[in-house]
Amino acid sequence: MSTEKLKEIILKVLPDVDTVIGWQEGFDKIHITPFFMKSPEDAEKAVWNSLCVQNLAAYLPSLKKKTAVIVKGCDSRTIVQYMQEGLIDRSNVVIIGIPCTGVVSVKKVLKAVDYQPIEDVKFSDEKIIIKTSKGEKTLAIADVCPDKCKTCQYPTPIVYDHLAGDPIESTKPAESVYEDIKEFEKKSLEERRDYFKNEFDKCIRCYACRNACPMCVCQDSCIAETRDPHWITQKLSSEEKMMFHMIHAVHLAGRCVECGECERVCPMDIPVAKLKKKINSEMKELFDYVPGVNPEDKPPMYTFNVEEAKIKEHKL
Amino acid sequence: MRVGVFICHCGSNIAGTVDVARVAAEARKIPGVAFATNYMYTCSEPGQDEIKAAIKRENLDRIVVAACSPRMHENTFRKTIQKAGLNKYFLEMANIREHIAWIGNDKELNTEKAIDAVSMAIAKVMQNKPLHATSFKINKRVLVIGGGVAGMQAALDCADGGLDVVLVEKSPAVGGIMARLDKTFPTIDCSICILGPKMVDVGQHEKIKLFAYSEIEEIKGYIGNYQIKIRKKATYVDWEKCTGCGLCMEKCPSKNSYDYFNFGVAPTKAINIPFPQAIPKKAKIDPNYCRQFLKGKCGVCAKICPTGAINYEMKDEIVTEEVGAIVVATGYGLLDQNILTEYGGTRYPDVISGIQYERLLNASGPTSGHIERPSDHTEPKTIVFVSCAGSRDKSIGVPYCSGFCCMYIAKQAILTKDHIPDSQSYVFYMDIRSPGKGYDEFTRRAQEEYGAQYIRGRVSKIYPKGKKMIVRGADTLLGTQVEIEADLVVLATAAIAAEGAAEMAEKLHISYDTFGFYVESHPKLRPVETNTSGVFLAGACQGPKDIPSSVGQGSAAAAKVLSLFSRDMLESDPAIAQVNTNACVGCLKCLKTCPFQAIVEDTLRSGKKVAKVIETVCAGCGVCTSTCPCGAIQLQHFTDNQLLSEVSAICQM
Repeated sequence: MSTEKLKEIILKVLPDVDTVIGWQEGFDKIHITPFFMKSPEDAEKAVWNSLCVQNLAAYLPSLKKKTAVIVKGCDSRTIVQYMQEGLIDRSNVVIIGIPCTGVVSVKKVLKAVDYQPIEDVKFSDEKIIIKTSKGEKTLAIADVCPDKCKTCQYPTPIVYDHLAGDPIESTKPAESVYEDIKEFEKKSLEERRDYFKNEFDKCIRCYACRNACPMCVCQDSCIAETRDPHWITQKLSSEEKMMFHMIHAVHLAGRCVECGECERVCPMDIPVAKLKKKINSEMKELFDYVPGVNPEDKPPMYTFNVEEAKIKEHKL
Repeated sequence: MRVGVFICHCGSNIAGTVDVARVAAEARKIPGVAFATNYMYTCSEPGQDEIKAAIKRENLDRIVVAACSPRMHENTFRKTIQKAGLNKYFLEMANIREHIAWIGNDKELNTEKAIDAVSMAIAKVMQNKPLHATSFKINKRVLVIGGGVAGMQAALDCADGGLDVVLVEKSPAVGGIMARLDKTFPTIDCSICILGPKMVDVGQHEKIKLFAYSEIEEIKGYIGNYQIKIRKKATYVDWEKCTGCGLCMEKCPSKNSYDYFNFGVAPTKAINIPFPQAIPKKAKIDPNYCRQFLKGKCGVCAKICPTGAINYEMKDEIVTEEVGAIVVATGYGLLDQNILTEYGGTRYPDVISGIQYERLLNASGPTSGHIERPSDHTEPKTIVFVSCAGSRDKSIGVPYCSGFCCMYIAKQAILTKDHIPDSQSYVFYMDIRSPGKGYDEFTRRAQEEYGAQYIRGRVSKIYPKGKKMIVRGADTLLGTQVEIEADLVVLATAAIAAEGAAEMAEKLHISYDTFGFYVESHPKLRPVETNTSGVFLAGACQGPKDIPSSVGQGSAAAAKVLSLFSRDMLESDPAIAQVNTNACVGCLKCLKTCPFQAIVEDTLRSGKKVAKVIETVCAGCGVCTSTCPCGAIQLQHFTDNQLLSEVSAICQM
């Protein structure tokens, strides 16, 4: 897929919308940042490559005017979930979809080049070539992709108005999605508890995971910071940290679209998505529900039924 | 804040296994507690006076009573502190009887647990806010669901008491099961003869609006103000024009329709009036059998009808009624005979259910009251009755006794002898259950005067042998196996919940037990109320019942409605959900999960979208509060902070 094709589409939709949200080059070659395009001149600066990691759909609920947004397959699940939950007006959004074969984890790349300042980045044939003062290093994208790409089921966006490229099918088996969770569950209760205790102990409560989460609706009213109700204190104890992450996980029950933004932004490298993924696997088991795949679905936690098919309470 | 703590002994109920004096002493040490004592019976008048005196003397502003379940006495103590000038929501109860004293014998551990429970209640009461009820008007009309004898009784009593009644019956005529019975025990008076006048009253009463062949589509609202959507099912006959002359039924060429009224004992016509005394006496077409519907041509009834009432194009119609209270009298169902495979299910035509036999006995039944074998229409001479056909059988999920079968079997044995003097009846029974007035004498009469042979034991198998049915069972009194060659076998099939009982309960927001029978508010003291205020129960929908009990409960439900409507205004419970609009982010998850549709979207003057609770509709169930991600919606009297304070109290001990 060429950036040229994408620019063509941007220029086509620009007159109808207030803003087109895409990506542009950031402060160095490896960092790409979100880009709010208003004019044809802006469109010229738009980029698309495997470094376009941010989930731009997350901006949609806060925008009032008609907006176009560029999404990868995984990002499109956010839009589908927004539609299910009534958080956006679909007629007010133009979706430009990009079939995506996988992005790059900047954290993994930086680690591979030993955190040297990046001088240039080039792509060739599913490889990324990083130039630092110490020379060039070629990495296969598959080796430095985020974990979500390894089991990606939706390389082509689920919903779109314009598609920049030809649709692609997933080559990853559907069973692979929750394999890591099943593997993790084989550990004993104590091992799992210690694992999470150690991981969450690293938390500095910067709330970046929450702020980046496209499905977090509470914004400034987050109960992690309110006194009324006073669920957690500002104390830096492991209990309070654990409680915060538990609350975030429970608030995402049946809503997490597995975009992985929480883990991407975590400065302490905590696997914060793990709990959410576990709950998602339970939601699939119990309600046969996968968040963000069908705009017509009703999220199970958004309904009240006296009886649930797979939860036996009454026997009649 | 000055908290007063009162620990009740409840005689020896609590004091026997809890050191109440120590609980009081420990409570006294908790910051905020100004006074703590223990008392023999806190709920007694001197006990309540003690609380009132202490409030004055010690200048108390919050009260904790550690005693029985709040379901028992919360209201009592709320009134007590209200009389002493406190807001009644400044009371907390710690249940140290049901939760502690009654479940363990270790006094040391019980006392520790009681101290925990009391400290939780103290922490909670200190977070309590004063709440005030608001009052609202009631619509003094009542909906009765079900036109069986219980529903009709409730409807008539309400109507006689001056209320407007909406009576909804799902079959084409009122009367229910009782209208199908031949005679009634223990007086052997004709069922339809005593029920008929009531049915006529229901049909003619100016205060009763009868919707026959109609079902409840939707129930919205709350005590005092319900909006009911009623589906009037298509009868394909304009009941305004139909005179009930029966000409259509006579001429209808489709003679093999299933007869619901006669439980399929014999077929009926596709257009029919269910029985001669039917109220309303109107015809109805069964589209599953009508040739006009199946083949698209016939139209005999339309041609013959003298008033032109037939309308094949008729559609279901939805009407809305507004009422203030609901009486549920949806009755019961009968166990599907097919489950009883050891008795042949329904494979043998001469093994029938008790209600089918009732129709054979009935003079207005398909055989005009002549007892015939369904297989060859001959008169049976040996008849075997099998009681508990399904009842008291855990293996098929009916562990309970259906209650009235012992009595109707005795009645049917007596009637059989009357109809066929040279017949012999046998009754297999487990126990004879006849605890009503004149009931036991009646079952003895069946045996002693009418010669019915009672065999104590269960039937293991029924199978055909030539024209006869062989009934093999045990005689546990003689300790032998018995085999009887019967001409006809009657199974007293178990009474089960009515079809669709669970769905109806969900529409009404009332609870039902594992068998589908509706649950009363208290098994002894509130037998016709449900836990949803404004909804009352009558008859067998609450559990198997005979006619006298059903009628009694119908009248009782009517009395409850009349006493509810004796007031002009009702007080709403302030313990309901409330939205903090500053914290609400307008995600409206609460609106989608509310089981009572009590939450609506609201726009503030700033343009901000928020949730809003309709006070009178909210039942205080708390689903929204556990759904709200930011804690903006809080259940008053059970706020997050109030509950968290209890958790903190117990964790800090």
